[in-house]
Amino acid sequence: MSNVFFHPKDLHKLETKLQEKQAKEEEESERLKKQIYFLKDRHVRFFQRCLQVLPERYSSYETSRLTIVFFALSGLDVLDALEVVDKPSLIEWIYSLQVVPTEDQSNLGRCGFRGSSHIGVPYSTSKGPGSPHPYDSGHVAMTYTGLACLIILGDDLSRVNKEACLAGLKALQLEDGSFYSVPEGSENDMRFVYCAACICYMLDDWSGMDCMKAIDYIRKSMSYDNGIGQGAGLESHGGSTFCAIATLCLMGKLEDKFSERELNRIRRWCILRQQNGFHGRPNKPVDTCYSFWVGATLELLDVFQYTHFEKNRNYILSTQDSLVGGFAKWPDSHPGKITAPVCVCSHEYI
Amino acid sequence: MSAVEEMENTSNSVLEEPEEEKGSSEYVEGEADMEEDEPVRGGYLFYRDRKEWADLEPVPQDDGPNPVVKIAYSDRFTDVYDYFRALLKNDEKSDRAFALTAEAIDLNAANYTVWHYRRILLQALEKDLREEMIYITAIIEDQPKNYQVWHHRRMVVEWLNDPSDELQFIAEILSQDAKNYHAWQHRQWVIQEYNLWDGELEYVEELLEEDVRNNSAWNQRHYVISHTTTYSPPEILEREVQYSIKQIKKAPHNESAWNYLKGILQAKGLSSYPGLLEQVEELRETYCSPYLLGFLVDYYEDALETNNNKYNQTETLNKALELCELLAQEKDTIRREYWRYVARSLQSKYGSGEISSPSSSNPTPMEQQETPSSD
Repeated sequence: MSNVFFHPKDLHKLETKLQEKQAKEEEESERLKKQIYFLKDRHVRFFQRCLQVLPERYSSYETSRLTIVFFALSGLDVLDALEVVDKPSLIEWIYSLQVVPTEDQSNLGRCGFRGSSHIGVPYSTSKGPGSPHPYDSGHVAMTYTGLACLIILGDDLSRVNKEACLAGLKALQLEDGSFYSVPEGSENDMRFVYCAACICYMLDDWSGMDCMKAIDYIRKSMSYDNGIGQGAGLESHGGSTFCAIATLCLMGKLEDKFSERELNRIRRWCILRQQNGFHGRPNKPVDTCYSFWVGATLELLDVFQYTHFEKNRNYILSTQDSLVGGFAKWPDSHPGKITAPVCVCSHEYI
Repeated sequence: MSAVEEMENTSNSVLEEPEEEKGSSEYVEGEADMEEDEPVRGGYLFYRDRKEWADLEPVPQDDGPNPVVKIAYSDRFTDVYDYFRALLKNDEKSDRAFALTAEAIDLNAANYTVWHYRRILLQALEKDLREEMIYITAIIEDQPKNYQVWHHRRMVVEWLNDPSDELQFIAEILSQDAKNYHAWQHRQWVIQEYNLWDGELEYVEELLEEDVRNNSAWNQRHYVISHTTTYSPPEILEREVQYSIKQIKKAPHNESAWNYLKGILQAKGLSSYPGLLEQVEELRETYCSPYLLGFLVDYYEDALETNNNKYNQTETLNKALELCELLAQEKDTIRREYWRYVARSLQSKYGSGEISSPSSSNPTPMEQQETPSSD
């Protein structure tokens, strides 16, 4: 043990050096923190802003504004920050989007929820019969997200016309088991099969769809490479694989309708999507949203635990926007409204 | 889906910051019409100021007292859509309505109601569908990841019952983005609907020449063959196996080629093909990849499952376990935990009840196998 005596001048020099070193380390630490740490408060504010006003360049989201609400509320819910929203107002607004039966009930096959007020029907919060309009109808994804939002907000669905929603849903299913999004007709694929299953699950009533046909559609959409495409013959994809597997889980039929061998093959396809983050198809670049679509599928298949958490987490955080909040598809690009909550969710897994 | 990319996602593509819309010519050429009393800005007249529209009462959007996710539209945008809503309410079927749908689409090509209405007008007004094909071609070129535009094209092609432009058009779109899911989906529909299988395998091969890693092209290859010759004829299967191996040698680290090879063989069981193991083991030295090794694991698993005395179960299991450990430790470390899970599953299903480590010596020839513990 040495006895150390410092001359006051040397002591001062030492102190200054130490202070400079500390300042540098703090700066570096702050910079790293932004990358390493999940900036919860920024994301909460990002979601709050989404719920307010979007600039005109988001006009393509007009008909699906309700899905934006869903993503924002889901994000806030996962972050345990729902207290920042005005729940009663939101609930009223969502109910104003329900397409309810008209006096003569002639529009039952068109009931459900709208994505927004873009059609121009007069504002009405699901009290009383609907006003007839030649082009007013629900959209399967909006009915799904509308119900989901109400549930997130703690609503008891007492103003939801369940029979009408189910009638509207039935009208959308095709012979091959897949669904249109709107009764007027649209493309049909696995996305809307999933939406339909969510609706039936939330309403606790599977009479809204022919499950056997839907399951048949799902099985036929399995590709030679064991992933699942949007439909038979189409390329397997992380999004459609999620929709298919999640649908079967909601029906309680996953292990029933796929053999253990098939499930293992699907697991293999999914787990090969991890590159650092995840991509949606072989030989495509990674995208933060697939950390959710593929990650969630892996979790439903009980093997998310075998993914590389750290690489996935680091990738997601590299896309985090520390200024604005939210997450982008890729590092150094603009944060997206849809990517953000899915990233929050996938981050929460880890 | 976004897209997404592409997918996954609800009615619009997954794109985050929306595509920049090209400026549309909203400004009328020539001099402002001096006869109008109403203010004219550089030649453009709002619908609310147009004499010929004075009979129609615009219908605003109504989000009630507490709007959510409100989009801050410009005056011009609002004006066009207020009049669109008015037309919709009255179900007006006129040329002015038809013209307005084009403007509404220009402002927001993702509004499926506008497209639906336009289709109604196309039929009610007996519009020239060939003109419409030219129109939709331009829109898709500009916004190739929009769901509505592709659906619209499909409807018009169906009405015309004429797919003659489709393959070339789709090829043009694919030349800009060889993996555009919408394009491939439309292509598969056209081919199946109108029986246009001829030449498609050649087209797929061209694309694979350009990029052997194009998973969409590999998928299309499977699509074409399974709908034409199928893989049943042995000469077809052999041809495809050799094709796959050839591509693997060109680019060994290519999941798509390995997925294809495994995919076309797995239905009959990988271990049912004489000579396959040898071919793959031969590739191992120069063209190794995690996919090759994974293929071998699956081969051995199939051998274990088939259990037809051609193989020594214990040896086969050990080979599979060794490969899993090699993948976990060295060749596919990102999936370390997964490969160890695979090993445990194999061990549990086919193991002899005692723990068999991959480095254990071979059992003596006289040793009997115990019945594997069932899972």
